[in-house]
Amino acid sequence: MTQQTFKSAKRRYHRVFWPLMIIYSIIVIGGSFGLKQLDPEPQWLQTVLAIACAAPVIGTLLVMMRYAEETDEYTRMVQLRGFAWGGILTVSAIFTVGFLQLFHVVDKIEIFWFGPLFFIAYGLSTFVIGGRQCS
Amino acid sequence: MLVKNIIRALRAERGWSQAALADHLGVSRQSVNAIETGKYDPSLPLAFAIARLFEKSIEEIFDDETEAQLAAQ
Repeated sequence: MTQQTFKSAKRRYHRVFWPLMIIYSIIVIGGSFGLKQLDPEPQWLQTVLAIACAAPVIGTLLVMMRYAEETDEYTRMVQLRGFAWGGILTVSAIFTVGFLQLFHVVDKIEIFWFGPLFFIAYGLSTFVIGGRQCS
Repeated sequence: MLVKNIIRALRAERGWSQAALADHLGVSRQSVNAIETGKYDPSLPLAFAIARLFEKSIEEIFDDETEAQLAAQ
């Protein structure tokens, strides 16, 4: 494995990651503000649209995992710790908000906002752990 | 626990850049930088690869402070 291999792996990662994130962002904004107003019929169409919204996120997560597998031991450690901290922060937020809702402290909060929260937490974690070079 | 090492000095003796050393070892330049600055301890296979490359023993390259502290006690 050489520098060129690592650069290729990072290029492959960015080539897929950023378009998927843009698609995801458009879907999240569109889903949050547009889909409710359109109220598409029939029910199966709503189901297909809802599941389709998750596809870019699943793709992004798979690309992030592929990058972690293709890179070397240090970068893999940084990526996986970023995943772990992102997961810890996101699940903690889910539990906290969940209990706040259960005790009627806050009203309903759209659950898909926890997706972007994971990616922000993952990005910040890899930056803190590995510096700018690994994020 | 992180161990100190003399990789930067060994690399400088040979006039290699971090990228050149990374190529010899088959790791990323970021990994070499992290190991040199003591942010990351390499795995055993990578430590052996470093030792083989510089034709030294692992103990000559990596300084185990725990062992030194135990000896001092």
